[in-house]
Amino acid sequence: MSDKTTTPREITFRLRRFNPETDSVPHWDSYALNVPDGMTVLEALHQLKAEQEPTLAWRSSCRMGVCGSCGMFINDLPMLACQTQVLHLGTDVVSVAPLPNYENVKDLVPNLEPLIEKHAAIKPFIIHTNSKEIDEPTGEFLQTAEERESISQFTHCIKCGLCLAACPTVATDPLFLGPQALAQAYRYTADNRDCGLHDRLEAIDIFHGPYQCHLAGACSQACPKGVDPAFAIQLLKRTLVLDSIGFGKKKSSLAKVMPLADVVKAIEEFAPPKRTV
Amino acid sequence: MNSNKPTAYNNRLGLKGWVYAGRYTFERYLYLGHRLSGMGLIAYMVLHIIETANRMRGVEAWQGLMALFASWPFKIIEYLLFAAAVFHAMNGVRLLLTELGFFLGKPKEPVYPYSSSVMRHRPLTFVIMGLAALIIILGGSSLFFP
Amino acid sequence: MRETRLWSLHILVIPIIAVLLGAHFALMHYAPVFYGVSVEEARNFETMIERGKSVAQLVLYILLLAAGLYHGLYGMRGILRELPLTPALAKLVDWGILLFGLFIFALGTYVTWWTFSFKAGG
Repeated sequence: MSDKTTTPREITFRLRRFNPETDSVPHWDSYALNVPDGMTVLEALHQLKAEQEPTLAWRSSCRMGVCGSCGMFINDLPMLACQTQVLHLGTDVVSVAPLPNYENVKDLVPNLEPLIEKHAAIKPFIIHTNSKEIDEPTGEFLQTAEERESISQFTHCIKCGLCLAACPTVATDPLFLGPQALAQAYRYTADNRDCGLHDRLEAIDIFHGPYQCHLAGACSQACPKGVDPAFAIQLLKRTLVLDSIGFGKKKSSLAKVMPLADVVKAIEEFAPPKRTV
Repeated sequence: MNSNKPTAYNNRLGLKGWVYAGRYTFERYLYLGHRLSGMGLIAYMVLHIIETANRMRGVEAWQGLMALFASWPFKIIEYLLFAAAVFHAMNGVRLLLTELGFFLGKPKEPVYPYSSSVMRHRPLTFVIMGLAALIIILGGSSLFFP
Repeated sequence: MRETRLWSLHILVIPIIAVLLGAHFALMHYAPVFYGVSVEEARNFETMIERGKSVAQLVLYILLLAAGLYHGLYGMRGILRELPLTPALAKLVDWGILLFGLFIFALGTYVTWWTFSFKAGG
């Protein structure tokens, strides 16, 4: 029995092309390529560039789903080209376009600047009342395993921008902060070392903030790292509502500082016995 | 200034991004349905307020309007409105709960294959949509076959 | 104003709408059960005026008007403001929706009051 997801065969790649120096609108070009089992869309693009179309442009770097550079609109869904196997798509024609909702710089290259600007706007760093401890640390902020797990999945964001390409609100509203930035706003706000919600309000408690998320869920479907931005946004809404009625994070629940000597002692306590040979 | 500077192509989906749910999940279709039914309901509410103000023009004006609303085309519109209201209300219950963080599970270390909050609350989604469908069908039978 | 407060109100009025709109639906479509009259009779001018003379109805309808209009028009504002508008147009949408809502609320309230204070032949 032949399996469409593993049988090596010829696949037609429909690639969206755009050269800003000569084109005013993009067009589609088709290329045929024999695809072996296991070949990713990124590898296919490399082979097409080497053998058939040397002018083809895209952005990629790590080839292993870590850098977040190769986000593309593959068969009408935003995906990372490096971790999408061509045959797993199950179609004989594979369309590859640049991520929607971003400016298209050339061929498959989107301009991710708005993503980074929105990310920066929400103050994506720990804001602690004890700023002296941040600048001149005397120890480590304590964080239990449970406290860490409550934010862990949101820390996995690689800023690939797939979620903004999937989001229906971003489709029309260029000012909407978008799933990435809002999820990161929650990630830092929920961190037990952070008390910066009020510093972030000006950036997030706005019309173009979390309330323009209507839980279409497309961002979470698109996220290649399991960050689940839609989840973080709903938790951010709850945090903001509770804070607005006086049930915000208590200063007493903030992470305590453990002196460095105690940290070393604790590490030694759990460390394996020293080697003698 | 160089007027021949290459310009990027505006690749924003626009309204197509609202209405075309394509290969995205069921919840994206519910988003569209919620939006459309909501717009229909607020338009109706405003028209209903204006239309019922006709009572101030006297008995004849009011009775004429009521006779018009008793006709078949208006019965169908009334049913569509009922269906929109039921869908919007039931999906609204789901949104009310989930947008405040209920039924979404707890954040945890992501392990492939990833689970998402959207999939975790899907049983709730299906139960609520099943109930909505049932109410819409029962309501239709009582409206058209009293 | 913090958007959280506007959105919280949008959420808070939901139970009011659910109860009052549910009651409005039920009373109009199940008039035989609640008023002992047929659905057609319930829509008669006289029965409509009769119902409107209750203080409870006056208060609850005005409450439903306020809750329904706020919920619906806040939602509509959200949809319109998600369009790529200039800051001036965005302001126009905000003020336009607010003034429109107030006008429709005033009209609905006036009609409800008119019904409550209606005197036959007067």
